[in-house]
Amino acid sequence: MKMVQPLSGQAIYVVLLRELKRYWRAKARVISSVAQSIFFLAVFGLGLGGFIGGFGGVNYLSYMAPGIIGMGLLFGSVFSGVSIIFDRQFGFMKEMLVAPVSRTSIIIGKILGGATTATIQGIILMAVAGIMGAFTPSLALLAGAFAAVGAMLLITAGFVGLGVAIGSTLNDFHAFQLLSTFVMWPMFMLSGVFFPIDVAPLPLQVAMLCDPMFYGVELLRWCLLGTGTELLGSLGWLISLAVVAGFDVLMVGLGTYLFSRSQI
Amino acid sequence: MSKVNTIEVKALTKVFDKDVKAVDGISFNVEEGEILGFLGPNGAGKTTTLNMLSTLLRPTSGTATINGHDILTEPDAVRRSIGYVFQDTTLDIDLTGRENLDFHGRLYGLDRNMRQQRIKELLGLVQLTDRADDLVKTYSGGMKRRLEIARGLLHHPKVLFLDEPTLGLDPQTRRSIWEHIQRLNQEKNVTIILTTHYTEEADYLCKRILIIDFGKIVVLDTPDNLKARLKGDVISLLFKNPAAIEKFRPLLESKSWIHRINVVTSGNNYITMSRMIQTAPTMSDNVDMGGNMPEMDSRTIGSNKKLQKSSKQKSKQPVTDESRQFVDETCPKCLNLLVDKGGHRIPEIVKLADEAGVILESVELRKPTLDDVFLSVTGRNIREEKGSVLDMVRRHRIMRQARGQRVRG
Repeated sequence: MKMVQPLSGQAIYVVLLRELKRYWRAKARVISSVAQSIFFLAVFGLGLGGFIGGFGGVNYLSYMAPGIIGMGLLFGSVFSGVSIIFDRQFGFMKEMLVAPVSRTSIIIGKILGGATTATIQGIILMAVAGIMGAFTPSLALLAGAFAAVGAMLLITAGFVGLGVAIGSTLNDFHAFQLLSTFVMWPMFMLSGVFFPIDVAPLPLQVAMLCDPMFYGVELLRWCLLGTGTELLGSLGWLISLAVVAGFDVLMVGLGTYLFSRSQI
Repeated sequence: MSKVNTIEVKALTKVFDKDVKAVDGISFNVEEGEILGFLGPNGAGKTTTLNMLSTLLRPTSGTATINGHDILTEPDAVRRSIGYVFQDTTLDIDLTGRENLDFHGRLYGLDRNMRQQRIKELLGLVQLTDRADDLVKTYSGGMKRRLEIARGLLHHPKVLFLDEPTLGLDPQTRRSIWEHIQRLNQEKNVTIILTTHYTEEADYLCKRILIIDFGKIVVLDTPDNLKARLKGDVISLLFKNPAAIEKFRPLLESKSWIHRINVVTSGNNYITMSRMIQTAPTMSDNVDMGGNMPEMDSRTIGSNKKLQKSSKQKSKQPVTDESRQFVDETCPKCLNLLVDKGGHRIPEIVKLADEAGVILESVELRKPTLDDVFLSVTGRNIREEKGSVLDMVRRHRIMRQARGQRVRG
């Protein structure tokens, strides 16, 4: 079997289109995710924030907002990747596999689709956080918001790839709970959403530095607040960008590889 | 001039792990525009063969050409030439019927105009035009099946694979799907391979039938020729007491005009069906019957115990579905005799039974059906899952392994 398969633009587009249509119809999922983020921002950002004040000249709500956007991105993208379990279970995968298109095209479409829908989610959350007063309106913020959208696409692509890799390895829904407890939540908690890495004890700092989502949140913080952690310094945004991009390459590769080996 | 072979299969073989041969060196040709039926019990190798022909599975050895393209070297050209309607539904139920078709058209690279035109035409053909914009999750089983068949045709394949197209559908829907398949075949001249374990379906639709068992072709011929192989008539005897079968059988074996004797469980005729229904309500009295039967296997003994237990627990309750199923599995046994000039033999058989003191419940005379053919070439009733316990284990092993196979790139 040839390892390199031709990519088909039409096939990539159609898989992406399917993801968008399904996302658009699953309004309950979108609403619950947005509502969950609002709870976090309201209870922690406004409630706890009144007590903490803020970090490094940024008030707590503003500090948390990029992390909460990151949460939406993380959960949305991993689950969208993992949804190939459902495609397999409900048979739709066979319809794609028997078509004259390469496995790689299918998976690239899936990843682009998942990244797009998760980013749409992220944009909604960004708007919600803005309305709640997390960001100071300025021309720089406008430019930052556009940069953030690019960052979101970059962040989510890697996590959809991770989801696809997991979905290609696992075979049943029951693993969902495990996935959520042992993969998603740790990645979310360690992403620096609630506190800056600078104030954490060393073991926690190491754990946080191993979390790819940490760099994603860091990147968003640079885009929306124009500042980052002290630990990574003034070039923090560049380091984060590099890690996120590296994670993308790794996960998209792994997802594609594991998917092409997966069973019907 | 002879017709073109659209499908040529040469010594196709699939060996799963641990030397399980799911498909064992089969060769056959299918002519353009023909409907060929794969008939065989579960685990016979039908779906595995289709998966190899559709390039989803790589054969262990042997090959095939479809529409002139080799399945090993030109998988993309093969995929363009075929439509495959899988056994389990492969529709996206969160999309509408039209979107499912549109998605398929795009995957196969059809441009917008062509998609719209063909989708309109096919929706009409399978009579789903008014439901086209509803989500597929609101469709009935028959509608989903029709939509899938339409989808399989959208890219104008030369060959259509239908894997158990009417499995689990009610008789009326089944009939309408048959008509659709026939119409497609005639109007579009599509070559069709369908797998089924309904003999009536194969008989009604197929020009030729390939009976496959344990991965090997047992026989390949037209339905009429197959039935003509069994010369004579079939006489089915049903007994008041199933234990009488073993008593009566030796008496029949000495008669030269009887060509073949088969003991049929879960019978395929009207009498046994009606008897099953009658017997069901009184089953709690007859629990010990199973134990008297000489050909019990572990499964029926298991369900027998279950029945005893459940009848103890709720003896005053009306009979449950579970016990009805038990009746289906073990109770009605009849003898099928293949004889010459059947009408003349009935008095003789009745006389024999009288002399032996065996009470006949009914006697039925009929022409051989494909069920009888299947029975005679494989030694088993097609819907009878049991056979020997060993056979059953072997089949399940094959099916389990067939399901977990890695697909081709």
